[in-house]
Amino acid sequence: MTESISLISGSVFSMLSGIGVTFQLIFISAILGMILAVILLLMRISNKWYLNYLAQLYIYIFRGTPILVQLFIIYYGLPQFEFVRESFLWPVLRDGFGCAVVALFLNSAAYTTEILRGGVLSVDKGLVEAASALGLSKRQSFIHITAPIAIRLSLPAYSNEFISLLKSTALASTITVVDMTGIGRTIVSETFAPYEIYISLALIYIVLTFIIQKIFGSLESILSRYTKK
Amino acid sequence: MKVNKKIVGLVGVSLLSIMHFSSLHAEESIRVGMECNYYPFNYKDSSGELLGYDVDVAKGVTDLIGSDVEFVCQEWNGMVPALLANKFDLIVASMSITESRSKKIDFSVPYRVSVGRLIGPKSLDIKLFDENDKPIVENFKKVRIGVERASNYADYFKYVLPEADVVLYDGTETGYLDLVNGRVDMIITNPMKAHLKFLSKEDGAGFEFKSPAIDDVKFFGPGVGIGMRKGQPELKAKVDSAIKTLIKNGKLTEYALKTFPFPIHNEAWGE
Amino acid sequence: MEALSGWWDDYFWASIVVLKIFLTSLIFMVLFGLVGATAKLSNNVVANKLASIYTVVFRGTPEILVVLLLYFGSALALTTIAQVFDPSIRFIDIPPFWAGTFAISFIVGSYATETFRGAFLSVSQGNIEAARALGLTRFQTLLHVQIPEMWRVALPPFGNHMLSLVKDTSLISIIGLNETLYIAKQATSVTGKPFTMYIVVGAIYLGFSTVITLVVMLLEKYANQHLKVEK
Repeated sequence: MTESISLISGSVFSMLSGIGVTFQLIFISAILGMILAVILLLMRISNKWYLNYLAQLYIYIFRGTPILVQLFIIYYGLPQFEFVRESFLWPVLRDGFGCAVVALFLNSAAYTTEILRGGVLSVDKGLVEAASALGLSKRQSFIHITAPIAIRLSLPAYSNEFISLLKSTALASTITVVDMTGIGRTIVSETFAPYEIYISLALIYIVLTFIIQKIFGSLESILSRYTKK
Repeated sequence: MKVNKKIVGLVGVSLLSIMHFSSLHAEESIRVGMECNYYPFNYKDSSGELLGYDVDVAKGVTDLIGSDVEFVCQEWNGMVPALLANKFDLIVASMSITESRSKKIDFSVPYRVSVGRLIGPKSLDIKLFDENDKPIVENFKKVRIGVERASNYADYFKYVLPEADVVLYDGTETGYLDLVNGRVDMIITNPMKAHLKFLSKEDGAGFEFKSPAIDDVKFFGPGVGIGMRKGQPELKAKVDSAIKTLIKNGKLTEYALKTFPFPIHNEAWGE
Repeated sequence: MEALSGWWDDYFWASIVVLKIFLTSLIFMVLFGLVGATAKLSNNVVANKLASIYTVVFRGTPEILVVLLLYFGSALALTTIAQVFDPSIRFIDIPPFWAGTFAISFIVGSYATETFRGAFLSVSQGNIEAARALGLTRFQTLLHVQIPEMWRVALPPFGNHMLSLVKDTSLISIIGLNETLYIAKQATSVTGKPFTMYIVVGAIYLGFSTVITLVVMLLEKYANQHLKVEK
């Protein structure tokens, strides 16, 4: 039993040292994903049918396939082509980390777009009409009225997506990235003690999830401070 | 009344399971774990048949012990935990008899030599080992090396060259892929496999061995052996004598010659 | 493209495996979701707490860890429990199929718990009271009034859960189940064409997702038909 405890405490330290990589993966992917999601959202709600369908196709593909498969296609599949290896993308794709970020942000963007779209659609029509009655152009009313409200409405759903992103980072360990899960799997392969290590690792993720939920909860409260009755 | 029912139930279940398991004992099937994706030692061909040196050895040993064999495919880095979790009874998967593994499981006598070598592009000109076959630590910092997780190669790098830039893979094949597309400068692998599957083929044309054979006993052990859980002396004795018989009656050589132009074990192990 | 020849039948059988896992885990997922939702809504403090722990644990843990834990850890736990009853039992093993199926059922079931809980709460209290007034027992009310009404509200998010279920199947390849991704790995080592092999896997899963989405759309139409207003 004591052997288990010293094993767990030692490995928890090692696994936590990978938290930097985990955080980098989440934040870079979340930011890039959000940027892409805004672009896709604008395409999705635009009047031009070809932009709309292009965005829908993108979302369909990335939500319809497992993230693990997307990771493998990008990491193992793309280098099959010479032109990828010679291109300017290679420094990013050469590394497991770079490929993981690419896969994660492309995937996250697809889900985030739909979340943002849900938020936009939930904005009270009355407000939009009022804005137009006041003489605001469609563009102005979108930027100043719809968008801020949509952001607040999307927060609960987006917090789920963010947590999903956290959990997906664990999959990066399958393409050689040394994040917390990667370190955990290496420790298991050296100590042959999957039970203790994986449970400790799971607990770390649960704590992180809890913290993230609390942060988003506070964010929601702050943004809705004017809507409390 | 409820207590009676429970006791009757327990006794019934126990009797049934005892009968079930003792009948299992009669025509005992030995489950053998292997990667099933480690050409040419254990792999599946396109028709799904399991082939390779390890497969032949497993069949030969279980034949001599007098039981049926059942193959269980298992990802390499879960091999020992799976054995310990009772997913199978023997590991016949080109697993080297290393110190760290021997702490958790028992090994049979060796049935194949175990050795590693680095392969890398011919265009890469770097001296990694000196005349005494000792690694030049400084030069290792300049190259990126692909290593399989949970392999003895990983142990070797961890203890002998901890500062080397090592990338850990979940399997061997993926390491080869990344060597070809330039993600890693070199990989450490079994030289027999490297020669057969890679260097002599089109993909491997631009590559060559970059190191002498590495066979530190601490990390490569006396060779590759059959793994089993601790505390099974009769099983170990049976497996050991089966392997020695296979060496003495030339079967082991026969298996090796199916793929290689030479036997890959040490005749002295038959004594 | 010729690299694929000889592998089509492997991919086909692997897709059947995905289908099997999907259908099996669907049943368990609904079960866990319903049990979890009723536990959370009940007055029983213990049930409530247990259900909360269930959702927190399985929504906060990466799916891949759950799969790995159930594969390696369950055998240990179950064997220990079984040995209490019968010391001569050598082992109780959980093959990858069941370890994986239960893992994804537990995970998606925890999300389903929240979905069903929200949907149950949307069932009008009036209908429930009417049913009880008519003499239906609590269980009968659940079966004949609450579940049918709740189902209509839960259907859209439930469709998403089904999609998660089918996509999480790919994770079971990590513990050696011969579904499509696993086959692709083996095919890659033989053919040396990873992109081709993995794209096929992507296409297969896209196919599954499309079918599920279409089925959900049909079910939604069917569930909402009585709401159509005559013009």
